[in-house]
Amino acid sequence: MGPGRLWSQLRNDRAGLAGLLIVSLFFLVAAGVWAGWLGQNWSAANGGRWESASAEYWFGTNILGQDIFQRSIYSIRTAFEIGLVVALASTVLGAILGALAGWYHGTWMDGAILWLKGVLDSIPFYLLVAAVAFALHGKPWAMHVAMIATFWTTTGRLVRAEVMKIKSREFIAASQAIGLPDLLILSRHVLPNTLHILLIQVSITFVAAIKTEVILSFLGLGIQDGVSWGLMLAESTQEVLAGHFNNFMAASLMLFVLLLGFNLFADALQDAFDPKQVTL
Amino acid sequence: MQYALHKILHGMLLILGVTLISFMLMVWFGPDQTYTLIGKNATVEQIEEVRSQLGYDQPFLKRYTDYLVELFTLDLGASHSSGEQVGSILKRTIPVSLALMIPGFVLGNLVGIALGLVAVQHRGQWIDRLITGFSVTGMSLSFLIIIIALQVLLSTPFGVNLFPVRGWQVTGLGSYLQFVTVPTISLILVTVGYNTRFYRAVFVEESGKDHIRTARAYGASPATILWKHILKNSMIPIITRFMFSIPLVVISGSLLIESYFGIPGVGKITFDAITNGDQPVLKAVVGLTAVSFVVIQVLTDMMYKLVDPRIA
Repeated sequence: MGPGRLWSQLRNDRAGLAGLLIVSLFFLVAAGVWAGWLGQNWSAANGGRWESASAEYWFGTNILGQDIFQRSIYSIRTAFEIGLVVALASTVLGAILGALAGWYHGTWMDGAILWLKGVLDSIPFYLLVAAVAFALHGKPWAMHVAMIATFWTTTGRLVRAEVMKIKSREFIAASQAIGLPDLLILSRHVLPNTLHILLIQVSITFVAAIKTEVILSFLGLGIQDGVSWGLMLAESTQEVLAGHFNNFMAASLMLFVLLLGFNLFADALQDAFDPKQVTL
Repeated sequence: MQYALHKILHGMLLILGVTLISFMLMVWFGPDQTYTLIGKNATVEQIEEVRSQLGYDQPFLKRYTDYLVELFTLDLGASHSSGEQVGSILKRTIPVSLALMIPGFVLGNLVGIALGLVAVQHRGQWIDRLITGFSVTGMSLSFLIIIIALQVLLSTPFGVNLFPVRGWQVTGLGSYLQFVTVPTISLILVTVGYNTRFYRAVFVEESGKDHIRTARAYGASPATILWKHILKNSMIPIITRFMFSIPLVVISGSLLIESYFGIPGVGKITFDAITNGDQPVLKAVVGLTAVSFVVIQVLTDMMYKLVDPRIA
């Protein structure tokens, strides 16, 4: 499906469009933070403890007197950084390993990749992250490594099945008959035909990465420096018991709206590419 | 029989893999434990002694097989932070985690199946759209948001204040219900979005098949079709889903719920081991859960054969 037809499909999906709009707005804010225009005062502790919302502090301040609005805005950048890095890297890894397994279906290479997938799927995810963080001595990217190492498996499985289907088609037989090398056929003719799967997987793993960051930051395995919605929620666990909900509300709402946007968009993509397929 | 042997062999290869990965991450490449165990001003001999106790002077294969022997004989050594035997820590904490997680896990799946069935029966109508919208909303909520919100609403004066804020002082059924309710509701809310969506998709797929149309053409009632034809033929994906979500929901869930509510189960001791870098506890928990999950997978594969004899 070309971009033109994809767009005309998406245009009629109101929920999907709303999702795309939400994600784009958040991305613009993230770009503003990257450019240094927004959310730059996230770490300064100028206010008093737990100030309520005011013209100066739109969402009030936290226990240290930091501006909650600035922190939640800066966290959009953190979320996009984690989401993009993890989603792109794990999807590319899944595409490569899945394509190799599918193309060399039934050989030792397929067996080895399936085995690796089975092994990674068998280790409970948060425990694997804990183990990776332990091995990396608390390096800040331990979280990214662990997510990429596990999130590729679903993409790999889907791409493998698709490549097995594509391999049996005539244009592949034709390119083999004129003597093109395997790797060229794979990269030129097979992988581009799995692009729809990859696009959907990028948006799904993006959601998974942001959700996982929240849990990992709460467990002390996530972001080491900087601020994220996960860290804000972790801070808020103490504050809510004392009746201060600003930190919690700000982080929860932003996180929820961005995830909702991505989920709606991912659903619309899925419907556009394959209206018959039921999403599993 | 050949099927069973094949599955068992496959399982053994997976066990080899998961133990190898946990060994590599936590023992072989893990941080040097010598100085966490030894006091200040240790002599060279003392350092050498601790290092050889830890097996640092042994080759890779020897240390890996030692780790395997530890796991399979359940002789897991002592925790670095408390000195208690890891085996006895697990014996104490596993029942707590099971009592905590099982109700929410089972109910989350049952509610998902029920909502999925209702949605399929009213496919395309407003009730289906309501349920689908509800599951997308659930999927967009973080686990942490749900437990914080429920704690505030159910256990503090800012809400209804009916349940204990945290902890686990269970002496009988009454206190069990007191402590288990908030975690159980959280677990249901976290999983129900994904479950409903999954089960609805399974039922939609099943209800589009030819045999359902035939049954309808023969005049079978909607209830018969739903229970006898759709639900029964969906047993394989249901069992798979149920079994495969055990590590994610039960184990990861207990890690978060127990550390949040301060409940002394496996999740809490794992959390403490993560924070303290307590390697004996961590390597035992990771290794044992991964191995038992592989065993569960092999058993699931065998169950397929019972449910559907066509599987080869």
